[in-house]
Amino acid sequence: MEFTTQLLYPIDQILLAVMIFSIMFGMGASLTIDDFKTVLRYPRGILIGFLSQFGLMPFFAYGLAVFLNLPPAYAISIILIGCLPGGTTSNMFAYFARGSVALSIAMTTASTIMALIMMPILLEFYTQEFTSALSAELQLAGTGTEFVIPTGNIIASLILVLVPVAMGMFLRAKSQVWAKTAEDTAGFMGIIVIIYLIGTAFARHSGLMLQTPVEIYIAAVCVGLLGFLFGFWMSRLFRLSPIFQRAISLETGIQNGPIAFAIILLSFAEPVQSQMLWLAILYSTFIVITSSFITLYYRRVGKFDYEIYKNTTIHNRLFGDEYVSHYPDGFLPKRIEHDPSQGFTPGQVREKK
Amino acid sequence: MENRIVAENMAQLFKRAAEQYGDLPAFATRIEELQWEPVSFREMYNRGLNLATGLIELGVEANEHVGLFGDNRFEWILTDCGIQLCGAADVPRGRDITDTELVYIINHAEIKIAFAETRQLAERILSLKPELPTLKTIILHEEADLYDDNLLHISTVESTGKNLRADGDRRAEQRMEAINPDDLFTLIYTSGTTGKPKGVMLSHANIMSQMKVIPIELSCTDRVLSILPVWHIFERVFEVYTISCGVCTYYTSIRTLGDDLKNVEPTFMGSAPRLWESLHHRILKKVKESHPMRQLLFHTAYFLSKQYKSSLYFLFDKRLKIERQSMLKRILLSPFYALRWVVVTPFYGFFNVAVLEPVRLSAGGSLKATVSGGGALPNEIDRFFNFIGIPVLEGYGMTETSPVIAVRTDRELVIGTVGPVVADTDVRIVDIESGKTLFPDENHPENGRGLRGEIHVKGPQVMQGYYKEKELTEKTIQNGWLNTGDLGMITFNNCLKILGRTKSTIVLLSGENLEPEPIEMRLTQSPLIEHCMIVGQDKKHIGALIVPDLDGLRGKGIEVANLNDAVVNNEAKKLIRAEIKKTISLYNGFKRHELIQDFTLLPENFRNGVELTSLYKMKRHIIQDKYADEIESMFKHESTGVK
Repeated sequence: MEFTTQLLYPIDQILLAVMIFSIMFGMGASLTIDDFKTVLRYPRGILIGFLSQFGLMPFFAYGLAVFLNLPPAYAISIILIGCLPGGTTSNMFAYFARGSVALSIAMTTASTIMALIMMPILLEFYTQEFTSALSAELQLAGTGTEFVIPTGNIIASLILVLVPVAMGMFLRAKSQVWAKTAEDTAGFMGIIVIIYLIGTAFARHSGLMLQTPVEIYIAAVCVGLLGFLFGFWMSRLFRLSPIFQRAISLETGIQNGPIAFAIILLSFAEPVQSQMLWLAILYSTFIVITSSFITLYYRRVGKFDYEIYKNTTIHNRLFGDEYVSHYPDGFLPKRIEHDPSQGFTPGQVREKK
Repeated sequence: MENRIVAENMAQLFKRAAEQYGDLPAFATRIEELQWEPVSFREMYNRGLNLATGLIELGVEANEHVGLFGDNRFEWILTDCGIQLCGAADVPRGRDITDTELVYIINHAEIKIAFAETRQLAERILSLKPELPTLKTIILHEEADLYDDNLLHISTVESTGKNLRADGDRRAEQRMEAINPDDLFTLIYTSGTTGKPKGVMLSHANIMSQMKVIPIELSCTDRVLSILPVWHIFERVFEVYTISCGVCTYYTSIRTLGDDLKNVEPTFMGSAPRLWESLHHRILKKVKESHPMRQLLFHTAYFLSKQYKSSLYFLFDKRLKIERQSMLKRILLSPFYALRWVVVTPFYGFFNVAVLEPVRLSAGGSLKATVSGGGALPNEIDRFFNFIGIPVLEGYGMTETSPVIAVRTDRELVIGTVGPVVADTDVRIVDIESGKTLFPDENHPENGRGLRGEIHVKGPQVMQGYYKEKELTEKTIQNGWLNTGDLGMITFNNCLKILGRTKSTIVLLSGENLEPEPIEMRLTQSPLIEHCMIVGQDKKHIGALIVPDLDGLRGKGIEVANLNDAVVNNEAKKLIRAEIKKTISLYNGFKRHELIQDFTLLPENFRNGVELTSLYKMKRHIIQDKYADEIESMFKHESTGVK
């Protein structure tokens, strides 16, 4: 599939830049220094989250690219998406999925910083065979020279998107009220711009959706779904509590789309750029839909354990940290009976019978 | 996960709750903002047994009436537990009880032992002692240093009982065994506005039947915030229900409600319309003060939610259906509503999450639902909260039916009604004039749905009668059917809608009762007023519909040819306004809530046989229906003069 016209017009590129800026600014406005401290409070959760975000996700993305036999530019794009840090929307989804919001925020924070180191390494590692294929393709067409992953540019773009985050954090430190307004406004603007971009992209390139091979769709949908699924199972395997399982699952599947846009726009040239961008747009669209359904599902299955968690937390809040909530025998299901977050807090020791 | 306990009587309920829920907190009292003291189900039962034994030692007999005068606090429920466990019944009232009521109730119920919450209340009762021949002992909840043989602190009674039980005293258990389902568990005196209070006799079977039929699911993971007076049956039934479900009740107060909502994060609450009014006001004020961007977001979210919810209400047949609607029309319209739902849903999803959730958090984010009772919830507020996603379940009941007759549930949430009638309960709609049953009656189309009449109830929750008021009881309950005195209808989707009262008592929004007749009588004595009807059910204040007396007006020198002339005559209005102000005043012995804030002159006289009965009594509901618009507009704008 070839792009005969440019996917984005200059005006769209400006809008996209504005969107990236405002979303990252909003992300910063929602963060405090305390959030970085929270990272230290959940070392186990963060570690498992780290493993699934930078271990599982890039591997799945690579696997999909190989398994679906994707054209090199798309393959590189999906691997790029797989290597991204978590996005702020995952915090909102974690909240509604009755997951641990604190862990979700901590994971987003940690992964955004870790991405500076991890992304270049992972990209280098997973994209090797695709870059050489792409170089061969370009030389065959007689247009380009050797294609290499622009590692320096990627790091530069990552740092660039962290600037508005820092600005947002600065605002938050100055005025909480303004930060809240900025956060909401940014979220609202982000939605409007993305709806506009998708709308115009579809309107201008009406044939594009039909032309796009089915593998591309499968890749765009599945990379998120695999993240949800294995993020959940991995944290379950390590016997984390259900609220952490749900948070890690969503955090793994939901990547920071705006960073992908920024990197693609700033580091890659045509004709590769449009193809990569198209996959990123598809991923961003489908991830909202899939994570909505996953959230609704988690919300339902997590109702009971979350209510117990909540009730126990409030008992400790009001009756003191030493208070132990003794639920009747057989009330707690086996799965969460000895879960530290579900019937007693870490400071308490329950005698096992 | 539901595991509510349905016991044979209150005493068994306390016992089984202790066995089943053990160390879980049952009640919690606020000491500081983040320091609360829990009492477990087991502890409550054990202390209840001690108190019961202490009471038996003081001479409390089985089925004796024990006074319980005080408001929400742990000692209240402990006292209730003690009284139930020794097989007696309590006679509850709040601290705001008047001296006259105290004397009447203590003497009428032949109370020998009474609990009083505060020192002040105890001193008031002591000062009335000469008028209270039966009263022997007062037991205090609060610490005070004026104890003697007949004035004890609750802990003294408890420790007496505790020592006796340590020596093997098991009289409380024997009393518990002997309780009959038909024995009274409480005798609640309702404050009549005219005449004397009436003692409503509620049995163990009455209250336990409610545990079976309350259609709200609660479990040990829920938290209930208690703000309404516990001696009122509406809050009381929830207190009993929370024990049945193993839920912890947290006592709050108006002063600390805001903080407590935030800290306790209740999942359920019994509430009164007033609470929702003030919350509604607070939310809107907050929205108005916020950044324009946030205002826009809120209004968009509210609009979308309205579209989303009303589409669903249509599709699932949950709209208020007073009139019969054709099936065909519904089927034809359904695709449009379905389409609207599909279009709105994704946007609603986003805005619900991003904008409405923070609003819900400000109202205590964990609330699954709340039941509003004790008065009608204004439609606008009802809709507001349901649209922003806090389901307010309006219920209907009365002390005489311990109390629930009907309540909306999540599944049967039809705004504008009080939901379907609860299980095991029958409701009849009876024609007021002829006394014939309108619903259910197969001779009427749709079995009589949509016809208005008086609501009669039959079921296990109906009281045993009014204490020592045989005649009144027989008048109120006939063949097991209790006449509620309320006007209502069954809608076409089987919900009960309350339309007003057939009895003339007006209940204001604030919960104050007033009888319109004395005011009307006073007003019609004026030469300027021919007829007059007081309205104001569920409003903030009362208003009057007035038919002016033409001769009287002419006598004052105002030239009016007919009633239509008088209505538009400003001189006449001014004169009547002055007359009302003069007649219905605090000076003339009327209470503040009885003052008329606004009035409307009617252009037509009341006619015999239409608006008036053959005995010249006003048919209130007919007049109310005829002048519904006038009444509405009277309460719409601010009061225009008479103060």
